[in-house]
Amino acid sequence: MSAWLLMLPAVLLMAAGFLYPVALLARISLNRTNDMGAMEPAHSLETLGRLVEDEFTWELAWNTATLAASSALMATALALPVALLIRGAAPRWRGLLSLMAVAPLLVSGTARIVGWMAILGDRGLINAVLAGLGLAEEPLRLINNWTGVRIGLVESLMPYACLVLIAGLGRLDARLEEAAATLGATRFRTFLRVTLPLAAPALLAAFLLTFVLGVSAFVTPRLMGGGRVFVVATEIFDLALETVDWPAAAAMAMLLLGALAAAMLLRGLLGRRAA
Amino acid sequence: MTHLVLDRLTRRFPGAAQAAVAGISLELPKGALLALLGPSGCGKTTTLRMIAGLEKPDEGRVLVAGRDVTALPPHRRNMGVVFQSYALFPHMSAAGNVAFGLEMRGVARAERAERVRQALALVGLEELAARRPRQLSGGQQQRVALARALAIQPDLLLLDEPLSALDAKLREGVRDEIRALQQRVGATTVFVTHDQTEALAMADLVAVMNQGRVEQLASPEEVFERPATRFVATFVGRAARLSGQVEAPGTIRCGEALLRAAETPATGAVEIFIRPHHVRPVAAAENLLPARVLRRTYTGEVVSLECETPAGRLLAELPGGVPEARATAGDTLSLGFAAADLRVFPA
Amino acid sequence: MRPGILLRLFAALGYTLLLSPVVVVAAISFSAGDFLTFPPPGFSLRWYQQLFSSGELMAALRNSAVLAVVVAVVALLVGAPASYAIARLEFPGRDALAGLLAAPLLLPTLVLGLALLLALQPLRLAATWPGLVLAHSMVAIPFATRIMTTAFTAVPRDLEEAAWTLGATPLRAALRVTLPIAAPGAVAAGALCFLVSFDETVISLFLVGPRLSTLPVEMFRYAENRTDPLVAALAMALIFVALAVVLLVERLVGFQRALGRE
Repeated sequence: MSAWLLMLPAVLLMAAGFLYPVALLARISLNRTNDMGAMEPAHSLETLGRLVEDEFTWELAWNTATLAASSALMATALALPVALLIRGAAPRWRGLLSLMAVAPLLVSGTARIVGWMAILGDRGLINAVLAGLGLAEEPLRLINNWTGVRIGLVESLMPYACLVLIAGLGRLDARLEEAAATLGATRFRTFLRVTLPLAAPALLAAFLLTFVLGVSAFVTPRLMGGGRVFVVATEIFDLALETVDWPAAAAMAMLLLGALAAAMLLRGLLGRRAA
Repeated sequence: MTHLVLDRLTRRFPGAAQAAVAGISLELPKGALLALLGPSGCGKTTTLRMIAGLEKPDEGRVLVAGRDVTALPPHRRNMGVVFQSYALFPHMSAAGNVAFGLEMRGVARAERAERVRQALALVGLEELAARRPRQLSGGQQQRVALARALAIQPDLLLLDEPLSALDAKLREGVRDEIRALQQRVGATTVFVTHDQTEALAMADLVAVMNQGRVEQLASPEEVFERPATRFVATFVGRAARLSGQVEAPGTIRCGEALLRAAETPATGAVEIFIRPHHVRPVAAAENLLPARVLRRTYTGEVVSLECETPAGRLLAELPGGVPEARATAGDTLSLGFAAADLRVFPA
Repeated sequence: MRPGILLRLFAALGYTLLLSPVVVVAAISFSAGDFLTFPPPGFSLRWYQQLFSSGELMAALRNSAVLAVVVAVVALLVGAPASYAIARLEFPGRDALAGLLAAPLLLPTLVLGLALLLALQPLRLAATWPGLVLAHSMVAIPFATRIMTTAFTAVPRDLEEAAWTLGATPLRAALRVTLPIAAPGAVAAGALCFLVSFDETVISLFLVGPRLSTLPVEMFRYAENRTDPLVAALAMALIFVALAVVLLVERLVGFQRALGRE
């Protein structure tokens, strides 16, 4: 009794701010938009069907999936040496190194993208170096395109990959690698034959987490893409606030949720097979 | 005058096959100290928690000074509890800890300060009143916990393994202190322990518990010298276990030998429990058993002989002076016992 | 095994990628130039001056700070009792309700923002204080309950039992014993909720309006349309506030205690 009373305020707030809006989102995805652009109540899969039939939707989905997959792969691959360094570091350095790896999480994503603009832009650091070396006549186009989005996304996903890998690798017994070394394995072979297989579950977990985050990323594609890069997230945003086609935005969001649920399910299945 | 009554107290934990406490009944006179003694999992702590109101009994009643408190929540029972971990509030000073119970009772500030001072003086910690628990040693923390429990002038003092967190060196001293303090303030006390020495040294009454039941409720001497059950005989003190057959009431056959015992079952196979210090040299004994010495250990005050007899292994502790004490491994000798010292239970 | 040269090299690359944008933002906020040129043509405080003299941006900063404080207070007020119940009491549906309080984090903020827009717009709550507080609470409460539940679980149960036996009612025992001991956790939870709200961009993008906007939204819009170092100064303002909060927590309770590892 008293327990329910203690839970009540939080649960009420969750009902108002989470359960009701999400239920409404699902409901509105079944409405349709008439020729005048106004929303009409309906119970049909018409809006959803129109999206599924539209080739542009599939292009967006493909763009989003490849962007997320490639960025997640890079983020995980770059986080691995960071996590291995932290694991092998002396205890008094470990805290600082870990903090540095996840510090970007404390800095707003927009702020970091401004930094990337200054590094990758036409008058940015990289083009200044290239020009200084006389390597490029024209500035290299590194932002307002897919390259910029991918670099920004890799960086914004890396702290999450680091978190997963630091936790996952911390549990591995370091003596196994020492044993391999005493058996005559070189560093590289030890890495390939012992470290990598042991780290595989953590690597998979890091990849899947960053993939899911990458699929729904919005700020990075929007700002680094300069309005020229279209993914599912930017499309949902535009449908909701530019076109103001709520049923379509809601339907697109439901498709995104469905894809994410499938990815989570896959993760669960893989996790159970690994266990 | 009876102060505490446990009446068929029972507690079953969900999912457990056996009741943790299975119908315990006992009575404790005012001012007495009862030790609940038993191995871990015997239900002694659950019993204490039911007395304190921290655990609800499934059946049975708890009566304090004639009043049924079974339905009362812990904060309305007025019982001073010293927890195994002491459970001192880390964010309050020693004085703050002791004052807490008085504050909850609405004792006025001035009187509260005086009673806190008295309680801390009682345990000899007046100077450390301002310290936080983590600035105190284990023994000092224990005394603060005791002062906190006594400051509320409890109807019952409940101690849950209060010595187990202390160094072995400290234990004996603290044990005697607690006993002296308890007698000085006259608090009726229930004390949970798995250590028989503690129970025997401190208690007026010992309840030996096993599997949720009280096997024997008696004075420490009675429990040690005249264990009521096989469990008590094995759990309290050391005892050799011989096997035999009752020939006639009072007479037991062990191989060739016949032993006389004060009390035996009417017939059948029996187990005979003999304390090492009850084994006598031939000259002083009525019952004799042939024994072959397996090992001899000299400890100064006594000589321990581990022997093989027709009825089983026997441990004898003899005073250094007697001739039998000079036996070495391989020797055969006769050892004896007084009929009154044998405890006999059906096998 | 000590890290080898190759590993150190790759790790250095990783750290460079992680930290260079922040370092560059810090440097360029002091630029004297008109664009996001790096290296800057010279150094000055002109963009900070412009930031502090912009009424619009300062209003957004104020809004964000007030919103974050309110959200942190709300999240603690509803999160602390719920966490206490989850950590200490047994009741039917406990796991399900605990799951509900963590659920918003499973949803992409983009979808949550859209759902909140669809729900709050018809009620005329979009671009209002109550609407924004409700929206930000959805992402703050999961963190608050998570940390507070850990903090309450870390308080030994027998302290509370001791308080009961000394005559404290369950409520007084919770308020006088458990809550003060869990206080460092509450401070940490409050600080984290503040930061989550103060940096929240995507949900806010759906819910702000011309009369009520937040700093991250203004920064996002600025970065979308303009490329002068003012946005870097803006970014630094956000970083400074985050840093101040982190240092404040450290001074107040220390991280080790806040995380319950004392």
